[in-house]
Amino acid sequence: MAKYLAKRIFYLILTLFIVITVTFFLMKLLPGTPLTNQAKLSKSQIALIYEQYGLNKPVWQQYLLYLAGAVRGNFGTSFQFSDQPVSYLLSSRIGPSLQIGLQAMIFGVILGILVGSFGAMRQNTWVDTTATVVSILGISIPSFVLAVLLQYYLGLKLGWFPIAEWGGFIYTVLPTLALGATPLAESARFVRTEMVDVLSSDYIELAKAKGLSRTGVIYHHALRNSLIPLITIVGPLAVNIMTGSMVVENIFSIPGIGEQFVKSVLTNDYPTIMGLTIIYSFMLCVVLLFTDILYGIVDPRIRLTGKAN
Amino acid sequence: MKINSAVKLGTVATFAAVLLAACGSSSTSSSSSKQTLNWMESSALPSMDSSTATDVVSGETMNNTGEGLLRIGKNSSIHPGVAKSYTKSKDGKTYTFNLRKSNWSNGDKVTAKDFVYAWQRTVNPKTASQYAYMYAQVKNANAIMNKKKPVSSLGIKAVGNYKVVVTLTQATSYFPSLVASPMFFPQNKSVVQKYGKKYATNAADNVYNGPFKLTYWTGTSDNWTMSKNTKYWNAKNVKLKKINFKTMKDPQTALSQYQSGKLDATYLSGQQPKNYKNSKQYVERKSASTFYIELNEKKDSMMKNKKARQALSLAINRKQFVNKVLADGSTTAKGLVSTGLASKNGTDFNTAAGVSSATSQDLTKAKKLWKEALKETGRSSYSFTLMADDTPAGKNIAEYVQSQWAKLGNIKVTNSNLPFKTRLSRSQNGQFDAVVSAWGADFPDPISFLSLFTSGNSYNNGKWSSKAYDKDVAAATGKDANNSSARWTDMVNAQKTLLNDQGIIPVYQQGKAQLVKSDVKGLIYFPTGANWDFSQAYIK
Repeated sequence: MAKYLAKRIFYLILTLFIVITVTFFLMKLLPGTPLTNQAKLSKSQIALIYEQYGLNKPVWQQYLLYLAGAVRGNFGTSFQFSDQPVSYLLSSRIGPSLQIGLQAMIFGVILGILVGSFGAMRQNTWVDTTATVVSILGISIPSFVLAVLLQYYLGLKLGWFPIAEWGGFIYTVLPTLALGATPLAESARFVRTEMVDVLSSDYIELAKAKGLSRTGVIYHHALRNSLIPLITIVGPLAVNIMTGSMVVENIFSIPGIGEQFVKSVLTNDYPTIMGLTIIYSFMLCVVLLFTDILYGIVDPRIRLTGKAN
Repeated sequence: MKINSAVKLGTVATFAAVLLAACGSSSTSSSSSKQTLNWMESSALPSMDSSTATDVVSGETMNNTGEGLLRIGKNSSIHPGVAKSYTKSKDGKTYTFNLRKSNWSNGDKVTAKDFVYAWQRTVNPKTASQYAYMYAQVKNANAIMNKKKPVSSLGIKAVGNYKVVVTLTQATSYFPSLVASPMFFPQNKSVVQKYGKKYATNAADNVYNGPFKLTYWTGTSDNWTMSKNTKYWNAKNVKLKKINFKTMKDPQTALSQYQSGKLDATYLSGQQPKNYKNSKQYVERKSASTFYIELNEKKDSMMKNKKARQALSLAINRKQFVNKVLADGSTTAKGLVSTGLASKNGTDFNTAAGVSSATSQDLTKAKKLWKEALKETGRSSYSFTLMADDTPAGKNIAEYVQSQWAKLGNIKVTNSNLPFKTRLSRSQNGQFDAVVSAWGADFPDPISFLSLFTSGNSYNNGKWSSKAYDKDVAAATGKDANNSSARWTDMVNAQKTLLNDQGIIPVYQQGKAQLVKSDVKGLIYFPTGANWDFSQAYIK
């Protein structure tokens, strides 16, 4: 296990390095300057300011300097938030993004498993139909549409939840619902299909014949085996939540990093683009590593160490 | 349950109010406790360092937490600030400001040295200020920015603690409004040095000499709070106790927050202004920014042909565009200079310098001119690309203008909507046929616009050129700089030349639609730079 982990972490670092390199050179191809005031500066004025920021050096030199800094934990200073180190900008804003993302994931997947299992257990009844409708809606309604609807009805009309902004847990409810819809729908669909399959297999019949209770059969035998394919989609779902949060954060005025990503690219804020790319790719790599480990736990047939003796 | 308790509360409150009124108590005691304003911004506050800040939100915040030698008030009028009075030398090149005794929020005295320090810090090339060019008129500023002279040679001197003497390279009639803008505010040297890199990166590592002080801001937070600065020299006239700023990036969210009472004002965009136009809370604010089309005269003979340029201008129905398409408080452009920016004896600049034929529609004439232009340049038809931003506003204008130009016949216009920075680079490099550009004035004077289109100016993307125009602009900034009426005539003539030759095609002047709660009074808005002054605002 330890050897496997070490190998995976090495790959993680290698992936990050490749991502940093590719992003850095692609980013430098963007037209324009990172200066907010570019429209009002002459070429010679821009040149003077570039000198101060070290942007007048050849791109390969800038790249090496960036790498040297990044290794020491210095990710540069943001242009949008002048004088703020990128590491501070991101660390002070990543909390809300992570919280919303994790809540949406947990809420969506757990509720999805429940909805899917109930649908499968009561196959071809109204319960099943409802579960199917919920998953179809969840997949087809984009999170930003759902966000606006939730905001209008539950926030403005009924006044149950705050419309926007960031405060205690109550402020996270609507964004979590909006972001959690896709994971809910996806996992409900997967669990239902898989569970229907599993429920008709021989070992379930055997378990029933053994005299196990219905819940016992579902919990010990059916559910565990139905969850394996679900783990496969956790990675893609995490990506889905990360991209969805960019819009949802704007709608609910959440002080997260979602919007910074889009804005930094549009404003050529080089240090922030790099910082966010590193964070997003790191998070994705970790999620993938996590799912791989989870496989082994849920399904002992999958060996992490490779060759079985 | 909720409704019940609300009704109960309401009844009690009404009852109490009746009782209070019956007792004849004045309402001032209750109004002072609610002197809190909840204000919306569409982007976060990125900086509070007057040397390096570049955006509107920073400017607006600093304008309320700080104060320069002078202060901008209603209709861009100039009032005393830290300086209680000033004198100007006969040649208009030397200003002497007499400072009042005032304090920073930490109790330090605001002295002449704070101004010298701040100005020198801004023009210092090491600071890499993106707005340092605003100091161009101050003696030696350009040489310092280009590392040719030491920072100490800047044309500002402290005489004792309470007198500032500023020397300019040439008379600059709008210098008092420059001095009133945040880029010219004082900085407390000991505080800047004490906090070093952390200076002005959060609410605590800073000091304030304006009507308010920042009491909450982490440097990256979406919310920030200003409280009344009791150390401000005019604090007794500041009525608001607190202003809560909230970043609302989504206009619909902002409107919902406004409707639910969480905000006292909100900007409207998209379809919203149309829906609220008849509301009593609806206000339109004119910005000092003009949207115009530049035609690339270096590209080929067609755009160099005056008749072609005039035809393209005459084909556009600007009224329909601002009223039906934008409908957000924007108005038709009367010239390059924005209306309401400057006036003389009560007459707006554009009343004197507007050329109606260059800013209005006449399709018959347009078609005729277009035909003639095609013939003169030996063409049967002309196709070109119109470049604009890829924002909703950029797409709106490009699509509208494209449809209007199509009416000319024998024309094919392709639209290309690009991200702002890409559009800017291509404009500056001459990689376009026609482009929708915009300019916002940095200070309330027509020259802020007119200096753009002199021959060889780097913002003159279309490369339009006129000797008469160059001469007038040079006179307004040179020999007539200290003669206000001759200068005015120069500037009027310059804009007339530009419009008569259709050097650019002015389209519209940007406006902002806003909803403001009717109990919010005393807001001061001005169309340039910092936009807002809350020092006299109050909740009635």
